Amino acid sequence: MINKKALGGKKTLMSKKSIKLLLIFLLALSMFLAGCGGKTTKETGGKKEPATSGGSAKDTLVYGRGGDSTSLDPITTTEGEAFKVTENIFETLLEYGEQDTTLHPGLAKEWKVSDDGLTYTFKLQEGVKFHDGTDFNADAVVFNFDRWMNGNEDKFPYYTMFGGYKADEGHVIKEVKAVDPYTVEFVLKRPQAPFLKNLAMSPFGIASPTAVKKFGDDFRKNPVGTGPFKFVEWKQNDTITLEKNPDYWQKGLPKLNKVVFRVIPENTARLNALANGEIDVMDGLNNSDEATVKGNDKLQVIERPSMNVGYLGLTTTRKPFDNKLVRQAINHAVNKKDIIKAFYGGKALAAKNPMPPSIEGYNDSIKDYDYDLEKAKALLKEAGYEKGFEIDLWAMPVARPYMPEAQKVAEVIQADLAKINVKAKIQSVDWATYLQKATKGEFDMFMLGWTGDNGDPDNFLYTLLDKDSIGSNNYSQYSNDELHDVLIAAQTETEQAKRNELYKKAQEIIHDDAPWVPLVHSTPLLAAAKDVADYLPHPTGSEALTKVYFK
Amino acid sequence: MAELAKNAADILVIPAEEKLTPPWKEALKSFYKNKLAVVGLGIVLFFIVIAIIAPLVAPYGFKEQVLADRMQAPSSKHWFGTDDFGRDIFSRILYGARISLWVGFFSVLGSVVVGTLLGIVAGYYGRWVDAIISRVFDVMLAFPSILLAIAVVSILGPSLRNALIAIAVINIPNFGRLVRSKVLSVKQEEYIMAARAIGMKDSRILLRHILPNSISPVIVQATLAIATAIIEAAALGFLGLGAQPPEPEWGKMLADSKNYITQAPWTLFFPGVAIMLTVLGFNLMGDGLRDVLDPKMKQ
Repeated sequence: MINKKALGGKKTLMSKKSIKLLLIFLLALSMFLAGCGGKTTKETGGKKEPATSGGSAKDTLVYGRGGDSTSLDPITTTEGEAFKVTENIFETLLEYGEQDTTLHPGLAKEWKVSDDGLTYTFKLQEGVKFHDGTDFNADAVVFNFDRWMNGNEDKFPYYTMFGGYKADEGHVIKEVKAVDPYTVEFVLKRPQAPFLKNLAMSPFGIASPTAVKKFGDDFRKNPVGTGPFKFVEWKQNDTITLEKNPDYWQKGLPKLNKVVFRVIPENTARLNALANGEIDVMDGLNNSDEATVKGNDKLQVIERPSMNVGYLGLTTTRKPFDNKLVRQAINHAVNKKDIIKAFYGGKALAAKNPMPPSIEGYNDSIKDYDYDLEKAKALLKEAGYEKGFEIDLWAMPVARPYMPEAQKVAEVIQADLAKINVKAKIQSVDWATYLQKATKGEFDMFMLGWTGDNGDPDNFLYTLLDKDSIGSNNYSQYSNDELHDVLIAAQTETEQAKRNELYKKAQEIIHDDAPWVPLVHSTPLLAAAKDVADYLPHPTGSEALTKVYFK
Repeated sequence: MAELAKNAADILVIPAEEKLTPPWKEALKSFYKNKLAVVGLGIVLFFIVIAIIAPLVAPYGFKEQVLADRMQAPSSKHWFGTDDFGRDIFSRILYGARISLWVGFFSVLGSVVVGTLLGIVAGYYGRWVDAIISRVFDVMLAFPSILLAIAVVSILGPSLRNALIAIAVINIPNFGRLVRSKVLSVKQEEYIMAARAIGMKDSRILLRHILPNSISPVIVQATLAIATAIIEAAALGFLGLGAQPPEPEWGKMLADSKNYITQAPWTLFFPGVAIMLTVLGFNLMGDGLRDVLDPKMKQ
């Protein structure tokens, strides 16, 4: 690190001790001043440069975020950074409400469900064009669904929302057909209660068939949809640029001319960039920085409605977590309250279930595993691990909405586990590899989380813990047939009260089996420049920037 | 200039007594005359003592988290304040001295042993042996040292032990070259020729005559290299490639708290000062040793 020239340079100074002493003194002085300087800049920092931005009407929004997208073809991934961008390029048949998961018309302007819950008919918007100039119509919808259902978990992981792929027994869609150019009919094999909510999820954005055929596998780098913004350029791990779609079918929108998604991995560095006016909006604000943003009159804090869970996954196929008692012991050993106080600024709920309480069907009667080291030790003893064991604890390398500081939380858990003689070595790897390894069940113990996509319990319990989801989002490789039956029954049941009962039952099973340590339901924070208006964060974690503008 | 002349005069006067004092005593004496070197030695000894008695004097454990007390400013309860896990920074600095000195000492020891061996072999046997060893050194020196260290760690996997190995590896060529050049000149001395003439074995010549006569620059270089090694260990720790949490390595402590520079500057200040002081200590001591052991430098 130190360069040899510097050392060599000292030789000539050797005899001149006074110069050397002076240098040392200066060094010490500068260190001291640097140390003190920290405090003073904190006080004045907010008012330092109030005149950098402003001037002519701004219409380019720079969005700073922690990680790059893994793909821009939304169906090929389950990862949130991808959807933040694709929400702006693609549209779905149905859309959610601005800040909730109620259903609204999207590319389909109206829809009808048959009494037996097996046939769904959609009337499509007319006169909508894809960015490449081709028409959006019923054939395009059929093309997209055919493409997805003929794929597999590797290619289109999220399509498991519909129970599997074409050849699978669990697949709920029997047929998708174009009745006329602007009418599409879905025929199901069995009723699926969350079917409409699923259709509105970001991964099911309708892509241009012409472009999909043209680009083939490269479509993930050349997305073409009907959304308010067109894709311009993707510089890996740096920026993704979108520009206004001038022919957007909703007149007068979008209000911005250009959107740039910029990757700045460090939360604090991103905040600095925001304070300097390099970016206009950032997500992944550390709770500990909330006060800094509030104290800066150029900036504003935006809270995202909470619909997530951050958890510690225990891979149930690996020793020693194949033993239920060990998993329960770990549940007793983690002090969630302290974690929330320290790294969520107290702004999170301790989780006891794998789904957040804002979602219907939440089982509040479940009693969480209390923080009790004696119980944990007793359970380990019963399981035959009295002397403890060593494992790897993996922590996300990037800030996630459900966990802005995963490495730090991991260190707290490491210290907690040490108290019951479980030695955890903290590991990390880049985000894409992290998810890959988690999918394959290569971690002993890992930090992860989930932001709901459609506000349905199915999207938490079935998506994250059903045996069908092993290989996609069931990272702890948890397989339980009893749970599977309950979850499938809940999917098929169309009466909401009965569904809720089934989901409550499911949460009991999961609680007892403990494939996770549910940690928190967080309220993710964003920060933006004061002049950014109408930025409405969606509970699903990604939102189109259609209505955002600069004051 | 006047001072130099005076020194020269001293040297000229001394020879009468020199016969009586053994050379190491003479060396020690001139080392003590160099006040900065003594200060350096003092700092180094201070940190060594700290490292040894850390468990006795540290008021808290280095991994003892009290989340309720996170990021407290220095106070009588926590002399250096607490970090973002509510751990006592003073205690962590004390324990951290163990890590830094351990890495500094053993990585340099490793590179000295390997480097000296290779250097002696290259210098003494010359020809193709020398060519191969020297070219390997050249290749290694062509990389910026920290880059090479990162490469080694990424092959071995991040951990403190592997960081130590990496630092040892990158410093091998420095010692190798030094020893080689010294051996080249010592080899020509008459006493070596004499030893050869009476039929002494190569191994004996190397170990009993060449090695002792080539080692003094190595000692100087090693002291200075410990300083560099401590910085390199801190750099690797800072990059997350060295010490792993919760080990209280100073570089890692800097990295962990860099986000809080405005809220809690003490979390960075003290580890930074600790690194600076130890490195300064070894550098001053090394410079002093060079004055003593390397006669050429005196002129």
